[in-house]
Amino acid sequence: MTAQLGLPASLALVGSALVLGAYVVEVLDHAIGRVVSGHFEPVGRTLTIPIHRAALLLLQQTTTTERPDAPLWLIAPAFLAGLAAAGLAIVPLGPSGALANVEAGIVWFGAVGALVMVAVYAHGWAPNSVMPLIGGYRFVALALSYEMPLALVLIAAALPARALALPVIVASQADLWNVVRQPLGLPLYLIAGLGLACRRPLDFADSADLAGGTLVEASGVARLAWSAAKSAMLVAVAAIGATVFLGGWLGPWLPGPAWVVVKTLALLALLVTAGHLVARPRLERFVVIAWVGLIPLALVNVFLSGLLLLL
Amino acid sequence: MGVRRWLAGLAAGAPASVFVVPGRGAREKVDELRLDSRLHFTESPRATTILLLIGEIPDALASAARSIHDSMPRPRATACWRAGTSAPVPSGFPDAVMVDVREEVGTVLTRLQSALLRGDHASEPDLLPDIDPAPWRGVGPHGQGGKGMTGGVPYGRALAERAHDRDGLELDQLPVRIGPLFPPLPAGLVLDLKVQGDVVQEVSLGDNPFLSFDAAVVGTAAGPNPFELALSQPVPISVLELARARHHLVWLAGALELHGVAALGYRARRLAAEIAPERAGAVRALGRLLEGTRSLAWGTAGVGVTDGASLAEVPPGPVSRAAGIARDARTSDPSYLSLGFEVLVQEEGDARARWRQRLSEALQALELAGRAAARWSTPSGRVEAPRGSLTAESAPAAELVALIPALLPGLDWGDAVTTIVSLDLDLEEAASRHAASAV
Repeated sequence: MTAQLGLPASLALVGSALVLGAYVVEVLDHAIGRVVSGHFEPVGRTLTIPIHRAALLLLQQTTTTERPDAPLWLIAPAFLAGLAAAGLAIVPLGPSGALANVEAGIVWFGAVGALVMVAVYAHGWAPNSVMPLIGGYRFVALALSYEMPLALVLIAAALPARALALPVIVASQADLWNVVRQPLGLPLYLIAGLGLACRRPLDFADSADLAGGTLVEASGVARLAWSAAKSAMLVAVAAIGATVFLGGWLGPWLPGPAWVVVKTLALLALLVTAGHLVARPRLERFVVIAWVGLIPLALVNVFLSGLLLLL
Repeated sequence: MGVRRWLAGLAAGAPASVFVVPGRGAREKVDELRLDSRLHFTESPRATTILLLIGEIPDALASAARSIHDSMPRPRATACWRAGTSAPVPSGFPDAVMVDVREEVGTVLTRLQSALLRGDHASEPDLLPDIDPAPWRGVGPHGQGGKGMTGGVPYGRALAERAHDRDGLELDQLPVRIGPLFPPLPAGLVLDLKVQGDVVQEVSLGDNPFLSFDAAVVGTAAGPNPFELALSQPVPISVLELARARHHLVWLAGALELHGVAALGYRARRLAAEIAPERAGAVRALGRLLEGTRSLAWGTAGVGVTDGASLAEVPPGPVSRAAGIARDARTSDPSYLSLGFEVLVQEEGDARARWRQRLSEALQALELAGRAAARWSTPSGRVEAPRGSLTAESAPAAELVALIPALLPGLDWGDAVTTIVSLDLDLEEAASRHAASAV
């Protein structure tokens, strides 16, 4: 599809998907938060409040700290947004493919997941401050706990399709979506995805006990950029999840791309709701959950999927 | 400038970003303000436009607040609400905007933020000079520190030393001071830590800023606290028990915010504001939800365990009852006994047991308040306040604060914060009996 659209148009499309996606995540987050707290407000206000907040941050000075790693601080949110874009660009919108037709889409997204650690750690390291540094280290300590289940469930989803390309994986779900075929896959993927996007309840790097973690020292545009990049990452996680487990563009009545959007929104709503209802576990506890629970389950998922193919 | 004005117009709809400095007599006022959706309480000065001083600010908090002020991005401003106290206008904040009435706080602060963004209200300059906390005192040829590779205190900041960690390895141990205005912790709490990574190895408590107040006015700023009144005169049991339920729900709200579920925290906060015996069902439903999602248990189970020995100095209260010590000052009050009051306990003594204890005591308090009818408490010089047994000479918070140095070592930072919050500390209360016992 890149060939049909040309590079500038593709970049513009991914860029607007990032911004729009981050906006949608903020609206969903605010709206679901209001429902959970039982504190309702007019719908119009829910739709505009992320814009008001963004405008406020754009008008604030971007402060600095004592001897920060300034280039790294600047690059970190851009890098995370870039990773989100790399994830979104390979989401196929129809049988004709995605903006970027990557042969090994599954491997590509696994690589994106692995590199998130670099962005979060850089963002924690750069301000030269205690709480952000602890946040950055926490993410490094936990990154494998997210990446292993993520990579394993994606590999399992590639097995029935006998291909690593996302369009083929979607086509392989024409009879039965992977969410049914591999019931362990989607829940494990979503848990790992929350951790990867550093969202509540797995926002260990940016959590309230660190007064905001890697975000503590960020003000103005820098704060907006990091928050938006994180939200965009969540959109990428949801869009890939919709593609791999919920049959992507497949569906009656609506055109393919609309189905992709609807399914992505549904997963986003689920992820955001989890953030409002589930408290952050202890770090140590989560590592145990990941290595004793999630990773073995993901392996079981791979073995079962393989076994079903052989039978 | 056109874009700037347009953005300022857009930003006018945003809640005011406020960093609160709660002084004496401010605690309950801050809790009320947190229900105002026009205000957004920030956890970092870097996200703040308005520094809000509430109540009577002790000197040590004021100087910390000045550093906070200078790390806020421009445009920025200071507002001061004396919250009905006779506090003097805090010195050192020459441009502070005064707010007088509770109802006006939200309006004044949102207007102030809009005016700042439009440029109609001048952004405040730095309050402190931009200098290092101490001069460079190197002795080596290149200005390095004291003796050896890692000696010295460059610019007043101690370098890391080496010490054994919990696995027996020799690792860097870094001195870090947290507080007195670190939002997840109670205002005024100063911790001097030695940390290896984020594992706390040593803790010493800094001075309580609220101790600087003169003995003559201690305890007057907070207004009519029913538990203080009950020390010397009969108070309706329904009033005491509703105040207890409110206190525990507000505490729960803060704990939920710490654990990342601020929306549920808001629900607890609103239940606290509308507290009445009829709301017991809603409180019970919230408790069931918290137990049902399991994750609050995953965040608190096994954290900050106290036992009989460590609680020997602590007066009876929710913290000791959560560790199985079934003592409660209400058992010696005939009015409570006539209501069939029974002491509730938990066994584990960890952070989870403490939040379960407070939740069940809140429910019990609502139930007692509903049945209390016209019963009044019997003054005996000892009152069961929400944090524990209160007398004219001692307040439970002081002994609870003293638990910190023994509880924290060996915990990672997340568990350390969970532990401190689970103790329900209040530095103002901890200081309230200091003058009395010194006299």
